[in-house]
Amino acid sequence: MKRKYHRLWIVAMAVGLALAFMAPVQAAETYQLGLSLAITGPTSDAGNPYSKGAEDYIRFVNETKVLGDAKVDCPIRDDMYETAVTKRNFEDFLDQEMVLFLSYATGANQALAQDFNEVKIPVIPASMDKSLVGMSEYIFLPIASYSHQYVGVAEYVAKNHKGGGVPKVAAFIHPSAFGRAPLEDFKAAVAAGLKLDLVEVVEHGKDLDNSALLQRLQSKGVQYVLCQTVQSPVATLLNDAQRLGMTAASFGEAGKITFMGAHYTGGNDLISLAGSAAEGYYWTTAYHVTSEKGPWTDWQLDMAKKYERDDKTANSHNYACGMMAAQVAVEAIRRTREAGQEVTSATLYETLNQMNGDKAFESLAAVGPVTYGPGDHMGVDTVQLYVVKDGAFQSEGEPFKPEFIK
Amino acid sequence: MTYFFQLVVSGVVVGSIYALSALGFVLIYKSSRVLNIAHGQIIAGGAFIVYALTVWAGVPIILSFLASMVITFFLAMSVERVFLRRLIGEPIISVIMVTIGLMSIIDGVIYFTPFGSMNYSFPEFLPSTPISMGGVSISWTQLVGVLITFILIGAFSWFFKRSTIGVSMRAVSDDQLASMSVGISVPKVFGLAWAMAGLSAAAAGGIIGNITGLNFETLRAFGITVFPVVILGGLDSIIGAVVAGIIMGLIQQFAAGYLDGNWGLNGTADVLPYIILLVILLFKPHGLFGTHEIERV
Repeated sequence: MKRKYHRLWIVAMAVGLALAFMAPVQAAETYQLGLSLAITGPTSDAGNPYSKGAEDYIRFVNETKVLGDAKVDCPIRDDMYETAVTKRNFEDFLDQEMVLFLSYATGANQALAQDFNEVKIPVIPASMDKSLVGMSEYIFLPIASYSHQYVGVAEYVAKNHKGGGVPKVAAFIHPSAFGRAPLEDFKAAVAAGLKLDLVEVVEHGKDLDNSALLQRLQSKGVQYVLCQTVQSPVATLLNDAQRLGMTAASFGEAGKITFMGAHYTGGNDLISLAGSAAEGYYWTTAYHVTSEKGPWTDWQLDMAKKYERDDKTANSHNYACGMMAAQVAVEAIRRTREAGQEVTSATLYETLNQMNGDKAFESLAAVGPVTYGPGDHMGVDTVQLYVVKDGAFQSEGEPFKPEFIK
Repeated sequence: MTYFFQLVVSGVVVGSIYALSALGFVLIYKSSRVLNIAHGQIIAGGAFIVYALTVWAGVPIILSFLASMVITFFLAMSVERVFLRRLIGEPIISVIMVTIGLMSIIDGVIYFTPFGSMNYSFPEFLPSTPISMGGVSISWTQLVGVLITFILIGAFSWFFKRSTIGVSMRAVSDDQLASMSVGISVPKVFGLAWAMAGLSAAAAGGIIGNITGLNFETLRAFGITVFPVVILGGLDSIIGAVVAGIIMGLIQQFAAGYLDGNWGLNGTADVLPYIILLVILLFKPHGLFGTHEIERV
């Protein structure tokens, strides 16, 4: 009897030990991501809601068991828009066995592109600079590049310009790699037959008054100003144009200027900064905006409410950007697991490259599906034009693919 | 000609705001010979206080504007009392290093608030229709900004020339030992100089924020943007800040109006002030109105 109990005790111990060893295996099913971005410092007005979007989506995934019992861990670190800090964060994340990196700024991605190639880790940046995908085959842009958005508004000008002659445009850009990103493609589009006359490229400073600039542009016959910068300088420009009576009341109004811009120039923040001067501002992005009801925007607002975000964050398109970047990463993990593969940087890279055709990912955050392939690292191919009417961004036409860009 | 006059008006508007922003530097330097590197952060802080009082607390904007000046007056005075009072008599570089530290601390505090990473704008309280005369226009926001600037600068000039405390502050600026020997409290003068600089910075922040919107990066950058103005006018001259501010404003507008976009030039409005600054300093190293101190051995 005593011997029998002894055997049972040994079996129980063995089972206990086996379970003890198995438990860490289960707990180890946590997939490590990493997000480094500007929560403070320059462009943090975009980075802050972006980080909250990514954070909330990951919380949602873990709470609702989107990946079953597996979890996603995505530490978020502030890099203050400084490349050296981004690099340090990236290396720390690698030490934590990160399988996919969520990055941010154009400059930092350019600087780290070689590192991405060496480590062979997939990267989803907040920057949509087209040149990034040429620098590293591991970078996957979530939506159409700045070039696509910028050429998209330019094509709209060429198609809808009223009056004779070739429409004269000026580029109003941020004095940085981010601001200059779409210029070469824009010039290439013009060379390829896009009927526009680029009169001047203006790299703005911290201007309190743009009267001189605006009057100079008007004296040169500029009718359209295409912006690639952030909201604050655009708001000052719009306010000055309104004061000088230069803002076009309708698209392409003769003798006036129509203002337009790409992704980071627009959104609700522009309206709050420029007020009534933002009326008639044309803007391209690939995201849905909360000023228009829809399945995604309802969900976005619900998520923001669930995680107690303020109204500004809830309605920010940058909040949606952060969510979507995390969404693509999680979807890649989910598909890799579903295929019975171990989730590593290499398998996630393969999964992302197969995200096309009937495997395209419909995120709902954007106006088209996310499609990647070995030669295509730009997620959503279409862009949507919005225009400010009655103090809110409203869709203008259907999502479209710019024609004059390769 | 309308174009020229518009540039003049814009230049004066921008220059006046530069002058008001520069005033805080001058007030502190004038009495204590210290350069406050955290001035841009105080400008931003002043603007955010106006917004918080107006939008979150529901105080009328004019009262918020005045209240923010009072609040920054006492905050800046407290900063001097807590961080800088102990450094009286220490090398100037130590004091400047403290202001650099102060800059980081204020940055950190503001980043803890929504203002650190969100854009806001004041509710519209002035008519949106600009004032136009002969094709030259100025917005109400700009006009009110210029008026406030000149009222404050006039008040400060009067204060330094006519009031007993102002004269005491000038005396401390000239010779701290001699001032103490006639019973002037040098520490109190320093505290008051910081307080007045805080007050002027809040006014500048309110005006700039009304023009550009409330973006922390934009607002705090004005601490650096106005540096050429301070150097050009002379670090210890209020009238120098006004004249240099307007000169810089005009140079920027004329550069943007006549040089940029022509002959392949771009961005001259940002560079030219520094070039002119260097040239003027070659001939007048103490700035246009700065005190040229002569030490006799």
